[in-house]
Amino acid sequence: MFPSSLVYSVISVMGPIITGLMVSGRVGAGIGAQLASMKVTEQIDAIEASAINPYRLLAATRILACILMMPLLTLAADASGLLAGWFAQTLVEPLSIHQFITSGFQGATFNAFLPPTFKTMAYGLIIGLVSCFEGMRTVGGAEGVGRAATNSVVLSSLFVILADVVLVKLILVFFT
Amino acid sequence: MNVSMPATIENPEKKTQPDKDMTAAVVSVDNVCKSFGNMKVLDGVSLSISHGETLAVLGRSGTGKSVLLRLIIGLVNPDSGSISVNGNNFAGLALDQLGEIRKKMGFLFQQSALYDSLSIAENVAFPLEHHRSSMSKAEHDERVKQLLDEVGMNGDSTKMPSEISGGMKKRVGLARALALEPEILLLDEPTAGLDPISSDEIDDLVLKLQRERKMASIIVTHDLHSARKISNRIALLNKGKVVIEGSFDNLQQSEIAFVKEFLRLS
Ligand SMILES: Nc1ncnc2c1ncn2[C@@H]1O[C@H](COP(=O)(O)OP(=O)(O)OP(=O)(O)O)[C@@H](O)[C@H]1O
Ligand SMILES: [Mg+2]
Repeated sequence: MFPSSLVYSVISVMGPIITGLMVSGRVGAGIGAQLASMKVTEQIDAIEASAINPYRLLAATRILACILMMPLLTLAADASGLLAGWFAQTLVEPLSIHQFITSGFQGATFNAFLPPTFKTMAYGLIIGLVSCFEGMRTVGGAEGVGRAATNSVVLSSLFVILADVVLVKLILVFFT
Repeated sequence: MNVSMPATIENPEKKTQPDKDMTAAVVSVDNVCKSFGNMKVLDGVSLSISHGETLAVLGRSGTGKSVLLRLIIGLVNPDSGSISVNGNNFAGLALDQLGEIRKKMGFLFQQSALYDSLSIAENVAFPLEHHRSSMSKAEHDERVKQLLDEVGMNGDSTKMPSEISGGMKKRVGLARALALEPEILLLDEPTAGLDPISSDEIDDLVLKLQRERKMASIIVTHDLHSARKISNRIALLNKGKVVIEGSFDNLQQSEIAFVKEFLRLS
């Protein structure tokens, strides 16, 4: 594969979606299970009873963190994707990483790379919203906590994939 | 059945009577019904308390005592009937108005509901940090220490909730409920799971608060002895209704079969 097509496919396609799915799995399950266990042990009721808005305290912060971290995580995923790509490439025909990068990013424009990276903020919003919602409406003990964690992962991955389809189209329309 | 000036039962010097000029109801629950699915939990319950008054709510397990307390702080909404605190009807209140009312209420959950990611001291400091942000960190620490002292939990302030016993959690929960110096105290079985000495200390604390701060309290309990000691009035719930409400003497003189049975076995 040519370095430039590898760079393109990692940064604009693979990086964002794989990060989205990985964060859905890790963070989605984490938030879903944590909030769910707070809900079933009445800790969220206790927050509400002390006149604090639990949505602002627990959900808003987590959603914001997801939105802000997604692009950064995507950059990290891109970097490791490119590194692995370069490694595979050198097995076939030896190439310095410097050469790989310069030829890979030749003719690259910001329009091709920035929108796919920043669209992951939308995935962050989805993951945060879905898992906070699933967590905070949990009922029914340990079983409910398990269900909330599973639902958070399944639904946020699903919505991330759906959003990806839509966002890819939108980016094509607006940035090319 | 509403006894406005209940007869004192014992320790007349320890228990305050509701102020005559402050008899306006602080909490009033009017004909409230609540069902979960098709199970009717509360079926037309009416209660009220005024400043400096303590109402003990007794009843069999599962009759809706905890649900009643959760209704009074607005964690669940009634199907019908109305609840008002300090004259504000809960129905149709915006969240921040409800918040203003809740700041005046202290709530102890039956299972304590301590924040498990915070230490004991942080749990008690939590309401202070959110509602007394003008106070300095040192003032917060001082207040937390004082509250934990009152419930006898000062030695364990750096422990996590998972490291303390159920009765200790109850006492920390009580300290947290008292953090904002509430006017209204709602306690769900404050002495359940406590040894007689600790429960007596909690009872004394509630009496002291009642006397010093004219606090209005509703206390759910299974302990008739402590109900008798700390409350001005006792309400007995059964099958979603208030069977009898009045002083301990009123209960003893009652001819209602359920009341007799309840007192005989307590
Ligand atoms: N969130 C809920 N969903 C469904 N049913 C509920 C809910 N909360 C309470 N109930 C039901 O309401 C009834 C009363 O519950 P509540 O917890 O108020 O009992 P209680 O009088 O406090 O009992 P105990 O003395 O054992 O604490 C129970 O039968 C319970 O099953
Ligand atoms: Mg209960």
